[in-house]
Amino acid sequence: MNKFIQRSKWPFLGFLVLVLATVPVWGSKYVVFFCLLFCVYLAMSEMWNLLTGFSGLFSLGQPAFIGLSGYTVAVATHHFGLSAWTSLFLAGLFSVLFALFMSLFIFRVRGIYYGIITLIFPESMLLLCSNWEYLRYAQGMFIKPQPPISVTAIYYVAFVIGVGAVVSVYLILRSNLGLGLMAMRDNEEVAKTMGVETFRFKVYCFLVSALVTGLAGAIYYIFVVFIQPGEAFSISWSVKFIFITIIGGIGTIEGPIVGALIYVFLSQYLAEYFSVSMIMLGAVAIAVILLTPKGIVGTFQEKIGFRILSPHRE
Amino acid sequence: MKDLLQPILNGILLGGLYAVIAIGLSTIMGIVKVMNFAHGDLMILSSYLSLVFVSWLGLSPFWSFFVIVPLAYFIGYFYQRRLINRVLGKEMDPPLIVAFGVGIILQNLLLLIFTPDARTLMTGLGLKTISLTSDLKIPVNYLLDFVIGLGVIFFLYIFFQRTYLGRAIRASSDDEIAARLMGVNTKTVYAHAMGISNMTAAVAGILVGMTFTFYPHTGSEYLFIAFGVAIIAGLGSMKGTFVAGIILAVAQLFGGHFLGPGYQMVSGHIILLIVLLVKPKGIFGTV
Repeated sequence: MNKFIQRSKWPFLGFLVLVLATVPVWGSKYVVFFCLLFCVYLAMSEMWNLLTGFSGLFSLGQPAFIGLSGYTVAVATHHFGLSAWTSLFLAGLFSVLFALFMSLFIFRVRGIYYGIITLIFPESMLLLCSNWEYLRYAQGMFIKPQPPISVTAIYYVAFVIGVGAVVSVYLILRSNLGLGLMAMRDNEEVAKTMGVETFRFKVYCFLVSALVTGLAGAIYYIFVVFIQPGEAFSISWSVKFIFITIIGGIGTIEGPIVGALIYVFLSQYLAEYFSVSMIMLGAVAIAVILLTPKGIVGTFQEKIGFRILSPHRE
Repeated sequence: MKDLLQPILNGILLGGLYAVIAIGLSTIMGIVKVMNFAHGDLMILSSYLSLVFVSWLGLSPFWSFFVIVPLAYFIGYFYQRRLINRVLGKEMDPPLIVAFGVGIILQNLLLLIFTPDARTLMTGLGLKTISLTSDLKIPVNYLLDFVIGLGVIFFLYIFFQRTYLGRAIRASSDDEIAARLMGVNTKTVYAHAMGISNMTAAVAGILVGMTFTFYPHTGSEYLFIAFGVAIIAGLGSMKGTFVAGIILAVAQLFGGHFLGPGYQMVSGHIILLIVLLVKPKGIFGTV
């Protein structure tokens, strides 16, 4: 039975990707919307998982990249009249540059402080953007790229980012970089002694997560057309990533896939009640940590005895 | 120069309040080695509890020091015992995520119950000032914050030096395994420590409620203040916490004075980042 699952995993995954790739052909508008959100959340959560689950860097700074790239797109299309694709590229670039800047500060302290220092960046940017006339204060900006791009085009970009995120995490974890990151997560001192260049590895991993999160944020805001600082830099992004990763299974590559699917399903019913949904996401995440810390995928993998997308080389 | 005296004076007085906001967080950071992300929200929870208590019984907010602060001890104790202690272990992330989740839940519960309106604890001291010179005034409620802040830090210092529990807490923070070998139940000690930390948070919450307006989501703002003070001070120094509180408060008021009130918080964040860059272990840090 296990052999059968193990052998059929690649065809199965290929089939899933194929289904996702052909959504605009067979799906209704609603299904496309659903899958688009799934891809965006998948990419972002996979990156959060790479930081927290695989590298032991509990990051609350991801909204900084999402908001930064959203505003990059807004400014590039609104003030400079650039096309959507150029601004998407710029958004990725600025995210990486900003991540480099953040690296100056965040890796200077011990593990427990890391999370809160990353949180300072989105909070400061939220305050700055709310007080900046160029960005129309807290009123928000419309994103109307010229020439306009179709939802199908947006979908395919999101699809590439989403699948690309999973593939890149898979490849990173199976490289020496991934080996070093996981060693660092398990015991930083020992990893250092064994010759892992922890600082450089942390920066690499952080840059990758910034790039993908930034691109996903940019395409998200191109899709929703409107950006506001209170929402773009919101801490609620981090709550969503935590929920998605924890319920799916932290420290597994497949976890965010399952988690993002569950979250996008749930979010349709919760969209109207922001507070209630935050309470629920937080409560479920805490309950899962206390009761089944491995999440859905981790528990399942323990049962069947092997990993579908293993971070370890055979 | 003359118009700078007022922000400096206010900053020094406010520093006492900032020290109380921070002392609980930095105690827990030093002892349990966990970043208590819910610290700010637990603090604002006390502000709201005090609001309910005061408006139900029609008393002066000062009475809530005698009721809400002891209550806060039990909230902190059970928070540590039932949630954080259960995930303390080899891995670093679960306690952080649980604390963060509790903070988010509290924030949104308060939002649901109390609506996003601004609240305040009316003491009648709000506008009273003591004039020093013609254009230098001491706001009475700031002075009160400073005095109570100093008192809290002093009490905590005595507590850690003189009582068995205080020494047990310090022992567990210095060397957990040795403390356990000496017969200290470290998990219970952690729960007591969180209770005490939450008592100081409650004092801070009531003071903040009497000095400023508060909203359900202001908790995270005070979490940053607490963390900023803790980082500037470094862990393990009570006097340092007090001085760092003053530094951060003066920096924030300067930022507000020169750049406009919208940048008050940001200037505090910038000071914090500079300290991180130059002296990651804080100015007075011993560990």
